[in-house]
Amino acid sequence: MFDTALTTSDLLFMAKGAGMTLAVTGIAVAAGTLLGIVLGVVRVQLGPVWSAPLTFLLDIFRSVPLLIQLVLGNAFQAIAQFGWEPFTTSCVILSLYTAAYCTEIVRGAIDAVPATTRRAARSLGLNWSQDMGYIVAPLAARIAMPSWIGLTLGVLKDSSLILWLGMIELLRASQIVITRLQEPLFILMICGLIYFLLSFPIARLGGYLEKRWSPND
Amino acid sequence: MRTKLFVLALAATAFLTAPASADKLDDIISSGKLRCAVVLDFPPMGSRDADNNPVGFDVDYCNDLAKALGVEAEIVETPFPERIPALMSGRVDVGVASTSDTLERAKTVGMSIPYFAFEMAVTANDEAGISSFEDMKGKVVGAVAGTFEGIALEAQVNEWGEGEYRPYQTQADVFLALSQGQIDATVSTSTVAQANVKSGKFSGISVAGKAPFDTDYVALFTNREEYGFLNYLNLFVNQQVRTGRYAELYEKYVGGDLPELTVPNVYR
Amino acid sequence: MPQLLEGALVTLEIAVLSMVIGLFIAVLFTLFRLSGIRVLNAFAVSWIEIARNTPALFQIYMAHFGLGSFGIHLSPYAALLAGIAFNNAGYLSENFRGALKAIPDTQTRAGRSLGMTWLQSFRLIVMPQMLRVAFLPMTNQMVWAILMTSLGVTVGMNTDLAGITQALNARSFRTFEFFAIAAVIYYIIAKIVTLGARLIASRMFRY
Repeated sequence: MFDTALTTSDLLFMAKGAGMTLAVTGIAVAAGTLLGIVLGVVRVQLGPVWSAPLTFLLDIFRSVPLLIQLVLGNAFQAIAQFGWEPFTTSCVILSLYTAAYCTEIVRGAIDAVPATTRRAARSLGLNWSQDMGYIVAPLAARIAMPSWIGLTLGVLKDSSLILWLGMIELLRASQIVITRLQEPLFILMICGLIYFLLSFPIARLGGYLEKRWSPND
Repeated sequence: MRTKLFVLALAATAFLTAPASADKLDDIISSGKLRCAVVLDFPPMGSRDADNNPVGFDVDYCNDLAKALGVEAEIVETPFPERIPALMSGRVDVGVASTSDTLERAKTVGMSIPYFAFEMAVTANDEAGISSFEDMKGKVVGAVAGTFEGIALEAQVNEWGEGEYRPYQTQADVFLALSQGQIDATVSTSTVAQANVKSGKFSGISVAGKAPFDTDYVALFTNREEYGFLNYLNLFVNQQVRTGRYAELYEKYVGGDLPELTVPNVYR
Repeated sequence: MPQLLEGALVTLEIAVLSMVIGLFIAVLFTLFRLSGIRVLNAFAVSWIEIARNTPALFQIYMAHFGLGSFGIHLSPYAALLAGIAFNNAGYLSENFRGALKAIPDTQTRAGRSLGMTWLQSFRLIVMPQMLRVAFLPMTNQMVWAILMTSLGVTVGMNTDLAGITQALNARSFRTFEFFAIAAVIYYIIAKIVTLGARLIASRMFRY
């Protein structure tokens, strides 16, 4: 097993794949989080009844396999003749997918801020945006942080599915190298190791924040 | 006022319809780029070299086509089942992907005249004790999903009524599964079978014989309504044979007797 | 369409089986972690970390082709099941770890002083509470398991919902139609599971 035909250029090729994984994850998480925060606030403001259509729509992204979403999204952009590159399609679908989860997290976190705290803020003369900015945001951010990190990790791993659209990300790059070298176990182990190295620090950070931010629970 | 609106509407219609009047051939030439769908785990037609760059018969064929058009070639790697979806979703302009010209596919895409022809061969794991096509009866067999041979093999397994058929997404996965003994045998094009067995990367597999499927003529494909481009492709294939480039590429990647690209007793 | 529904059944079957196996392993791991035996704890922790930090697609691919190079041959069905069960076990263990925090140590000690063995007090006192606290995350994991079955296509699975969809697609290339139907079916299954779980929860966990 240690007698391998794997060359430095193969490792570089896999590293490039990992770069693609990171790029898509970064874009999807950034865009998805922004959209998720907006939609989360909208959901809380509208209340459960008026936001029902929105809830339903976002629910779809959480109840249909991402693989199917990607294939459907790609077919849709072709039918609508957007002429998107697979990279764009992947980013858009992954962002929407992230946003759907993030909305839930944001909504849960805002709901978890005690109503009495918010009423107290309003009684002190703060207007809605001040209340949101100074009272709710810091409290909710703490509550949301662990789940948000979990979501980021999830997206990092789920981004492996974009290989279906022909994107050469980490897993696909590994498959390509396997095709040439026929050392599946060794290369897959390296691939797994890279994934682990990418996500383990984030997971640790999450665990640390969880511990640090909830000392009284 | 009304005339103004009318003119405006007319201008709008002209604007909206204008881009549609240029056909694909024009689009490719003006964009300066030809995007080819190529399967890259299908040696010797398409594979990757030591630096993981695309090489192979189909890759060179795409480069030749781009050169003829006077544009830059871009190789888009697609697994077998994704070739036609890649075209339909606008990710590629043309498929140079060893695609069998079946009637079923012609309902979706437009096929050029054949540019290559394959014979089908059975490759088996040495431990499975398979030495002919008939021996596969009752065994676990696999092939690439949605390919000519995959569809034919699945039908055959259903006809036999015993054994199991497993479709894989890529040719590489099929041979990987075969050498690991996950499947006992596969049917693939003889060129691919020879190339993989000879490469020495897979231990314990060998070509067990011919499969009684028809010769698999493969064609270039593009959108079925793009007659201008299809016309160009047909002429291009003809020119490749006429100029001896076809024979040259065949010698470079495959070697041996040059397959006939015409069917006796019928036109086209 | 009937083909797709048959596929949906296979999908559900794999999801349920993987959940049962995953639950079993997760409970075992919780015991390992509580036991304080270092080797067992390390084994559980490394399994959990690998399961949680690598993509499910990778795990399934590994179960089929990775194990294959050792000469262990799993059929696509078994590889898919093994991959998802592996993944489930990791995530469920982590859920249980969180749930355990909600159960004070004093309860185990109380159980011990009533004359129960350590295992008895775990089985009779801690575990039921743990499962109750972790019930909602478990439902989520079940939905995840259903969604994950779609990854079986990559290892030659052709009997589940995604596999049949892809097979139909490969034959006719009407991608959008087939995948849209599949999406609807997945959605319905996921909804039924979530609602069913909520119903069970409201029945079982009345205080």
